[in-house]
Amino acid sequence: MYGALDVSTSGMVAQRVRLEVISANLANKDALVDADGRYSPYLRRAALLAPGDPASTSPAGRSMGVHVAQIRIDPDALRRRYDPGHPFADEQGYLLVPDIDATIEQVNAMEALRAYEANVVAAEASKTIMAQALRLIA
Amino acid sequence: VLLDAVISAGPMPALELTMQFAARRQAVLAHNIANIDTPNFLPIDVSVPAFQRTLAQAIDARRAAGGGMHGPLDWKPTRELAQEPDGRLRLVPRTPSPGILFHDRNNRDVERLMQDLAENVGVFRLATDLMRHHASRVRDALAERV
Repeated sequence: MYGALDVSTSGMVAQRVRLEVISANLANKDALVDADGRYSPYLRRAALLAPGDPASTSPAGRSMGVHVAQIRIDPDALRRRYDPGHPFADEQGYLLVPDIDATIEQVNAMEALRAYEANVVAAEASKTIMAQALRLIA
Repeated sequence: VLLDAVISAGPMPALELTMQFAARRQAVLAHNIANIDTPNFLPIDVSVPAFQRTLAQAIDARRAAGGGMHGPLDWKPTRELAQEPDGRLRLVPRTPSPGILFHDRNNRDVERLMQDLAENVGVFRLATDLMRHHASRVRDALAERV
């Protein structure tokens, strides 16, 4: 019975990580320099989910649930912007900026949020079953 | 022996098997919900009517063997319902049908998933309520004796 709760928790963890990745994309949509101040436009990231939960303690639990298999950095998520006065612009007056569409990120965030809520509902249902089973003892 | 007879009498074994089925299926449904956004994921499930058929056959066999509602329930494992060495139920879920795929090759159906979840909790609740009711009748009967 605790297995069902573990499965829903793995779903919540995966969706939270996905939401964090989306937040990072939105927060860095105009970031042009890295932490050391060097010109390095932020590259969009995407959380890739896969079935199974390698963190599970039981062998049966490892095949159930979901986990973030990889946080993929998209090397091509850059676009050229014409801004001749910019300190990072090239001879033609162009500079590369992060290709992050706030609308797409918002839609992805909504999807992650709804999926998180679905996992909460499943966990609530599992808790009802557990409480019901415990009532047999009382 | 007396306690065994009391525990395996009446609907208790059938209710216990139903509770085991609902509890195991809950993990399967939670797995489908956890993977609602996973690319290439196809939901898995076990057939509820097939389980009900297995249960009905076991109840009929018990009735035919004992002439009543007594003795343990001897159910036959199927492709989806396996038996652990200790006799407990283990589910072997399968992908029911590929269905229509979304662009991420996941054929999620959130409404049906939530309906299955609500029904499954309802089945478990019904089985536990009936079991509690039966146990309280057994307790009452025992209280009359002492």
